[in-house]
Amino acid sequence: MNAWLQQAIERGQGIDDWLSPARARALEALSNTSWPTRRTESWKYTSLTALEQLDLTAESAKQQSTVEPIPGVDCLDLVFKNGVLQTNLAQMNLPAGLQITSVQTTSAVQQVIATTLFSQIKPKHHLFGLVNDALAGDVLFIDIEQNSHIGQPIRIISLSTGGHESHHRVLVRLGNQAKATLIEQALGQQNSLSTGFTECDLGEQAELEHYRLAMHTGEAIYFGGCHFCLHHHANLNSTLIGYGSQLSRTDIDIIHNGEHAKAKLNAIYLLGESEHFDLHSTIEHAKPNGTTEENVRGIVGDKANAVFNGRIHIHRDAQKTLAELNNRNLLLSRRGQINTKPELEIYADDVQCAHGATVAEIEEEALYYLMSRGISRSKALVMLNYGFIQELINQMPNQQLAQWLEPQLRARFKEMEVR
Amino acid sequence: MLTIKNLHARVEQKNILNNLNLTIKPGEVHAIMGPNGAGKSTLGYVLSGREGYEVLDGQVDFQGQDLLEMETEDRARNGLFLAFQYPVEIPGVSNMEFMKESVNAMRQHRGEEPLTAAEFLKKAKEACKQVQLPLDFLKRGVNEGFSGGEKKRNEIMQMILLEPTLCILDESDSGLDVDALQVVANGVNSQRDGKRSFIVITHYQRLLDYIEPDFVHILANGKVVKSGDASLAKQIEQQGYAFLGLDTSEEASA
Repeated sequence: MNAWLQQAIERGQGIDDWLSPARARALEALSNTSWPTRRTESWKYTSLTALEQLDLTAESAKQQSTVEPIPGVDCLDLVFKNGVLQTNLAQMNLPAGLQITSVQTTSAVQQVIATTLFSQIKPKHHLFGLVNDALAGDVLFIDIEQNSHIGQPIRIISLSTGGHESHHRVLVRLGNQAKATLIEQALGQQNSLSTGFTECDLGEQAELEHYRLAMHTGEAIYFGGCHFCLHHHANLNSTLIGYGSQLSRTDIDIIHNGEHAKAKLNAIYLLGESEHFDLHSTIEHAKPNGTTEENVRGIVGDKANAVFNGRIHIHRDAQKTLAELNNRNLLLSRRGQINTKPELEIYADDVQCAHGATVAEIEEEALYYLMSRGISRSKALVMLNYGFIQELINQMPNQQLAQWLEPQLRARFKEMEVR
Repeated sequence: MLTIKNLHARVEQKNILNNLNLTIKPGEVHAIMGPNGAGKSTLGYVLSGREGYEVLDGQVDFQGQDLLEMETEDRARNGLFLAFQYPVEIPGVSNMEFMKESVNAMRQHRGEEPLTAAEFLKKAKEACKQVQLPLDFLKRGVNEGFSGGEKKRNEIMQMILLEPTLCILDESDSGLDVDALQVVANGVNSQRDGKRSFIVITHYQRLLDYIEPDFVHILANGKVVKSGDASLAKQIEQQGYAFLGLDTSEEASA
């Protein structure tokens, strides 16, 4: 047994609340788990050495992250700092149809609902998902009543600061025909370890606009997960922005559990220096007539390392499924690395599926065209690189959020060493 | 304006330009015609500084400066403009962003303040109007999904915005119907002010009905084999290149 995992299990055994039965199952699974190595398929390109050597008493040089408002977007902000909820839920002015509780305040009735979500949508095979099951303290439960349309975006910010280990968990239930927007922003630069897992259940004809901004950089180790269960005619539109840190991984699972569900997933990762970012996505088409459109684009500079694994699994009953997965990468440096693997597993015979993955360098012709109009080489490179992901930014349903993100992404580019 | 002396250049180990000489004075319009593979497009690329086009010998003086020593972007900033035969599609970079960067790079070079968004938009709208390009083309990705004719008009729109001193039009007429041809030609003619010079590369005399050249040069095997006035183009149109004793059987593309 790995030493870190061993002590995590021990700490988990000390937690006692109404989630204990589920936590106990996770602890049991963890004690039967073998620690991943490079020979473990889903960890082939992501080494856990940084975690094994983690010393949270070590000094951290980088600055602390802060919570910034998004201009023009009036969010319901929920702030976690090192896994502890900072927001006073009782004082929040929530629109009708929306209830937000934490593990201490969840009513007995809601506990029953929350129990049907907690660790029920997220597949059991995610090692750090199990760790989060066992250790997440302030489990947040966001419950949106059926037919309720929550116009105000709900933003969950999780900050990690130096010397801390933290685990936060979010459960979201959208009742039938409910609508909501969820923005999840994870930040941290300093020497720390955090996990953040979210499970969302989308009722019949429910619509969720979702953003996960996995912005851990520097020494902050991060394991994140977004897991969605879509019922009849549910509609998910999700955008992921990934930065890289010394070790950062996000797992996404979308399960089509009702007919005619629609999922759109756009993901962007931008990596510089010697950052590492790993994105694993799995789309399960369990029912017929589902649609999935997944576009993943990444730019990798310097000595950075990107891993993408995109799996689409179409079950035997999932006839008339329409699924597309596309991964495009731009490599700015010869020292950078991209490992991409799209996987299609199809057991139904009447489906339309396509997948593809490419790794390219900047097109010389486009570069020449821009330079022939007086634009400098370095400026042209930034424009072209940005253009590569601008297409996905343009597809973000909330353009004010896009406008807020843009200068941050551009600034990140400028720091990335080209060639 | 431009003096080309004894220019030799090659692409991918193949010699394309062989002892090319050409002198262009301010305000002049020079048409360059010639069979496929003569080196017409290569001349445009060499002058604008495209990578992979290697100059082996010769000099090019552009407004008193050694053009061949300049970087691609500096040639543009000093007033050289190439309208591409095949404009490049760049999805994700909007035409507006592209031209704003470009115009402001030119202004910075001249020591002028960058244009504000509003000032730029006004100019861009005027330029679009001149070549009958709908305004929403400014918001679209550079040449993304444009038809052949729209791409050519977009090139002329850029030329109008950038106000170069020497414009090289590389087959700006190819693939255009008569109406589009007229729009492109009107755009070019509107920029003739007695100081600005043009090199018009074309296969067909047709364009020269609309843009009247001061000189016509026939390029073959990488050099100018005959020069004359506008009547030379008409002669080519009627008789082909055969009367010049050129072998035009080789359909190489350059």
